[in-house]
Amino acid sequence: MDDTLDISGVSEEGEEQITSEQVFQQLEEIWVNERLSPNLMLCRTDITECILEQMQEMEENIARAKKTDLKVSLHQLELDRIRYVLSSYLRCRLEKIEKHAAYLIKKESSDGPSVSRLSPEEFMFAKELTSGVTSHLTASALKHMPKNLQTLNLEDSGKVPNLDHYVFLRVNKAEEGIIVDCETDVQNEDKIDLEVDAQHIMRYKLIENLVENQTVSLI
Amino acid sequence: MEHSEMEFIAEKQKVKIVPNFSMSKIYFISGEVGPFQPGLPTEVPFWLAISLRQRQKCVIHPPDWLTIESLEEIKEAETTTELFTPLPNTHFREMCQLLLTHAKSNIQNADAVRTLVKDIWDIRAAKLRSSSDKFIRVQAGHARIDNLTLMEINIARPFLLASLDHLHTLRTSKLHVERIVPTQ
Repeated sequence: MDDTLDISGVSEEGEEQITSEQVFQQLEEIWVNERLSPNLMLCRTDITECILEQMQEMEENIARAKKTDLKVSLHQLELDRIRYVLSSYLRCRLEKIEKHAAYLIKKESSDGPSVSRLSPEEFMFAKELTSGVTSHLTASALKHMPKNLQTLNLEDSGKVPNLDHYVFLRVNKAEEGIIVDCETDVQNEDKIDLEVDAQHIMRYKLIENLVENQTVSLI
Repeated sequence: MEHSEMEFIAEKQKVKIVPNFSMSKIYFISGEVGPFQPGLPTEVPFWLAISLRQRQKCVIHPPDWLTIESLEEIKEAETTTELFTPLPNTHFREMCQLLLTHAKSNIQNADAVRTLVKDIWDIRAAKLRSSSDKFIRVQAGHARIDNLTLMEINIARPFLLASLDHLHTLRTSKLHVERIVPTQ
C-alpha cells in the first residue's frame, strides 16, 4: 500500500538520467532568475513539462492510496509547494509577455529557432494579444483619424524591456574580463573578474548571456 | 520579491529533528527523506519539520550556530569591522525567525537569542544603509557585495536598484546631450 506513494524519482532525458530532485532544483533557479530579470528568459519547456509529469504521477498516486493521514498529507503539502513555484514562474513569464508582446514577437522571428524565448503556446498568446490590442486601438481611435496617420507600428512604439536595469547576482562559475564601463565623460572601461561565490551589483545587459548559461544567478 | 517568498526559499534548508513516530522512507519529488525511527535524529527539509512539529510528531533541534556564545561572537565581529562579516547561514534571518517560532522550547534563553539576532540585524542594516548611500553618491556602475544575506538584499532591492536605474538614465542622457552640444 505504501509503495503506491513511492515515485521512483528518475526521469530520462536523452542519454542522461536526471533525478526529479535535480529537475526541481533547476525549476527553482529559473523561477528566481525569471522573477528578477527585466527581460524574458529563454524558454525551458523541458523543465516545466518534466515537473508537470511528476506532479500528475504524484496526484494519481495520492488519489489511489488510502487516506492514511500522514504520508498522504505530507505528499500533498509538497505538491502544493511545487505547484506554487511552477505557477508563479509561468505567471511571471506571462506578465512579461503582456508587457513586451510586440517586441518579443519581432525578436522571435529575427533570432531563429535555436534561441527561442517563447514556447509555442506563449507565442500564440502574444500574437492574439497584439492583434487584439491593434484591433481595439483601430476601432476606437485610429479609424477616426486622417487617412495618412492610420498606421500603427506596435513594435516601435511599444514597451521595450529595460536591459540596463541593475541586478544583484551571485557567481556560480568563474569568469574573467567582464567589462563594466562607467559612463562618465571619459570612457572608463573597467574589467572585472568574477570569482566563484562572489556577489555583485551591475547592469543586466552586461551579464545577460551569463545568466542564460547559468554562470551567474540573480539573487 | 516578497518576504514570504524569501521564507519559502529558506524553508528548503535541512534541519535536524527527532521524530516520535516511525515510518519508512518517503520519496518526495524534491528528494527522499527518512526512514523515521522514534528517538533517532534525522535530517529533513524545514517545511517538513514545521509540518511535523505542528502535528506534534517531532522535536526540532536548532543548529549549532544558534547559541548565545556564537551569536555574541558574530555581533562582536560585526561591530568591529566596517565590511560585512560572513554569517553562518545564507538565510540567517529567516531561519532564526522560523526556529524561534517553532523550536522555542529547544533554544536556551530564547529571548536573549532573539535580542541578539535583532541586534546583529540592526548593525548590518545600518551598514547597508550607509554603504548604499555612498554607492549612490559616487555613482559607480558596479559594486561587490559579498557576505550579504538574501533577506538584506531583498530589503535594499527596491530603493537601490530603482535609484541606480535613474542615475544611469541621467548619465546616458547627459552624455547624449554632450555629444550634440560639446562642452567648451
